[in-house]
Amino acid sequence: MKIQKDLQKNLNYIKSELQSDDVSFLDLSIGNKNGVLVFVNDLVSKNQVGELILRPAFSFKGKPTRKKLFGAFFSPEKTEVLTFDDFFNDLLLGNAMLIVDGIDGALSFGLKEFEKRAISEPPTSTVLKGPREGFVECLPVNVSLIRRRLKTPHLRFEHMTIGKYSKTPVAICYINGIADKNLIKTLKEKLNKIDIDAVLDSSYVSKFLGERDTSIFKQVGNTEKPDILAGKILEGRVAILVDGSPIVLTVPYLLIEDFQSPSDYYSSPYSATVVRLLRAFSVMLALFLPAVYVSAELFHLQLIPLSFLLTIVNSIKGIPLSPSYEMFFTLAIFEVLNEASVRMPKYVGMVVSIVGGLVLGETAVNAGIISAPTLMIVALSGICLYTVPEMEQTFSVLRLLFLLVAGTTGLYGLILSVSAFIIYLVSFENYDTPLCAPFSPLITADMKDGFYKGFIKEHEFRPQSIKNVNNRRMKIKK
Amino acid sequence: MKFQLKTRQVCLFFIAFLPVIKLFTLPSVFAQTAREDMWISATISLLLDFITLSFLIVACKKAQTNFFGLLENNFGKIASKIILMLYFVFFSLKAIVPLGEQKDYVELTLYTLMPSKLYFLPFFALAFYLCTKHLRVLGRLSDVLWVLSVIGLLILLSLSLPNAEFDAILPIGATGVKRILSASFKAFNWFGDAVYLMFFIGEFDFRKKDGLKISISYLISSLLVVIFMAVFYSVFTSIAFRQRFALTEISKYTAVINNIGRFDYFGIVCLLFSNAFALSIPLYFSCRILNHVFNINKKWISALITTAIQLIIMTVFTQYYLSIEKLMTGALSIFFFIMANVLPLATPFLTFRRKQNEINA
Repeated sequence: MKIQKDLQKNLNYIKSELQSDDVSFLDLSIGNKNGVLVFVNDLVSKNQVGELILRPAFSFKGKPTRKKLFGAFFSPEKTEVLTFDDFFNDLLLGNAMLIVDGIDGALSFGLKEFEKRAISEPPTSTVLKGPREGFVECLPVNVSLIRRRLKTPHLRFEHMTIGKYSKTPVAICYINGIADKNLIKTLKEKLNKIDIDAVLDSSYVSKFLGERDTSIFKQVGNTEKPDILAGKILEGRVAILVDGSPIVLTVPYLLIEDFQSPSDYYSSPYSATVVRLLRAFSVMLALFLPAVYVSAELFHLQLIPLSFLLTIVNSIKGIPLSPSYEMFFTLAIFEVLNEASVRMPKYVGMVVSIVGGLVLGETAVNAGIISAPTLMIVALSGICLYTVPEMEQTFSVLRLLFLLVAGTTGLYGLILSVSAFIIYLVSFENYDTPLCAPFSPLITADMKDGFYKGFIKEHEFRPQSIKNVNNRRMKIKK
Repeated sequence: MKFQLKTRQVCLFFIAFLPVIKLFTLPSVFAQTAREDMWISATISLLLDFITLSFLIVACKKAQTNFFGLLENNFGKIASKIILMLYFVFFSLKAIVPLGEQKDYVELTLYTLMPSKLYFLPFFALAFYLCTKHLRVLGRLSDVLWVLSVIGLLILLSLSLPNAEFDAILPIGATGVKRILSASFKAFNWFGDAVYLMFFIGEFDFRKKDGLKISISYLISSLLVVIFMAVFYSVFTSIAFRQRFALTEISKYTAVINNIGRFDYFGIVCLLFSNAFALSIPLYFSCRILNHVFNINKKWISALITTAIQLIIMTVFTQYYLSIEKLMTGALSIFFFIMANVLPLATPFLTFRRKQNEINA
């Protein structure tokens, strides 16, 4: 519906649609005409309204026309809107809207000011060396954080809104001349197809960007750090920024990404390689140790060295539960403690950790409910899982699944189920990018940033795993 | 032309899947007949395969379509379907003995406390799942699994080398030509892996020197098998034929195991991973043939048929397994030899005839 010339009719319509006490209607005289400035109280800077709108409005002389009005105000962010749909969109985004009698349209002034969190180090990816800035919940701030790192005219932001009621601003970000055009096109198509009531966090969007809806594995990358995002964009990825979320999404996603920590890029390649291998080893331990232990105890005693076997036999003497139930029960308790310590207030969380970890564990072993090796394996597996925190949720489910398989069909069943997962993973593609690249398909050139972290001069070209239009990353002068 | 595979994946395919299937009962089968010259029998079988492979490399170089296309262009639809169904039978039969030995291995060796057939049944679920996948997936699996095959073999070999008495395989050829050839004849069921290259024709971009790369990878995997056979006999000498599952036995008696536990199981598990896929490969190609012959678009249907056939053979005919094995290593060896080593020799000529047809047209 178009905004009409009759101010009163427009006002009646706006008031009928916006029956909310936080919306202000400020009557003005602009030259020889009446006007009304409409804005949402808590979203707009009052000082800027006074300085940039009211002062020029009152000093306006003569008959206001659309052209004259547009030039009369000092606000650097101003647009003209002609329909009520755009009017409401801008108003609820935090713009101040001016409608003037006799003019069929409104002026939209970007004078947003609302409380936002200060930029701080994200708790999910802390580093000893390297930048400590993290994204916040405010989209313009996040855009500025990226712009500060990539001062190129080729850096593109394309804005859109998603959510029938939330009208959440979403921006896709890429470097024109590096990112693959098909990737951008596919991503835009997917985003445009999202028809949802509200987008309250970027994770809502990520659910719509994957190829397989029911997959247990992540299909979209994410980061909270602008430096990491800049690195990913420079590799040819496209970022999706969602207002209200400090977590920025990136596509395409590779499984190896979560084994790469921000600190790897700021430390020596030697230590980065060792740490990455350690992470991979830890994940293996976390996933398979409980399952292998149970299958060895139940079916393959020959796997266990004799002296260790005697220790185990002594410790499981009198345990009422079977090895698989015992492990499952202990893992379940661990997950409960984990969930409780995350949900509870910090000071209570500490108590839960102490009570859960020390008191419960020790008492359960002394009472003969669970054995000491089981407790140790669960603790080790639990700790190891957090070396790759991004995959913690996926791996904890898989760990239970593998435990179930090992408890019922032993080692061979475990081998077969892992094999099935291998088939699943190697056949997985997202945005024409294999999830397991550069290992499967084997891309030797990209192995320099796999478990092995190459020296800076080895990264002469962008990864081949991700399609891009400009392969060269640096020129090495000899 | 969109290629499903990379040359690298074809090369790694042979390293990943060729040796692993020959490490279970084949060494004892060889040892029974060829004794200390069992490694020569293995070499002969592998050389025969290598000759076939060389012909197929020529076919790969010339072919402008895949194997199915070559057959259709030369023999027409009906005749090509008959040939393909013969290969369906070949792959289905080829899978039986390795599946049976794996089943025995799982039941007898891996589950010492509670042997049960049920532990092996999930394998068919895995085979079914693999059969529903694209050829591209097989290539990607090769990219990953060759590492496991090589690590597994190296662990087992390095653990067993201290126990090996290489004098036992000397003098070379002492068993006699007849016994050596007889052992090779019995083993056709386990060999004939070059035939897989026939089904890769036209599925990868064949470039200059690719033939050399494929040959080298084949020779590396063959070398691993021959070394394994030689070490196996050197460890067990005259009682080698009694060691039914060479994979488990070869490194069992090394002194290191007494100190650190069954570390060899690490290698065995690596090889079991590769073997789970290697066993599924004949079923995979059977499935591909069914898809092509009967124009099946829904892969799960052909996957279900192929795996169901094997499952029935493995469960219903279990009690006749020894007779089946005897048949496979006896009368049917000729069939395996013809299908895997003789018919593929004609493939380069199929590409030639196609070119002639094109010129005439």
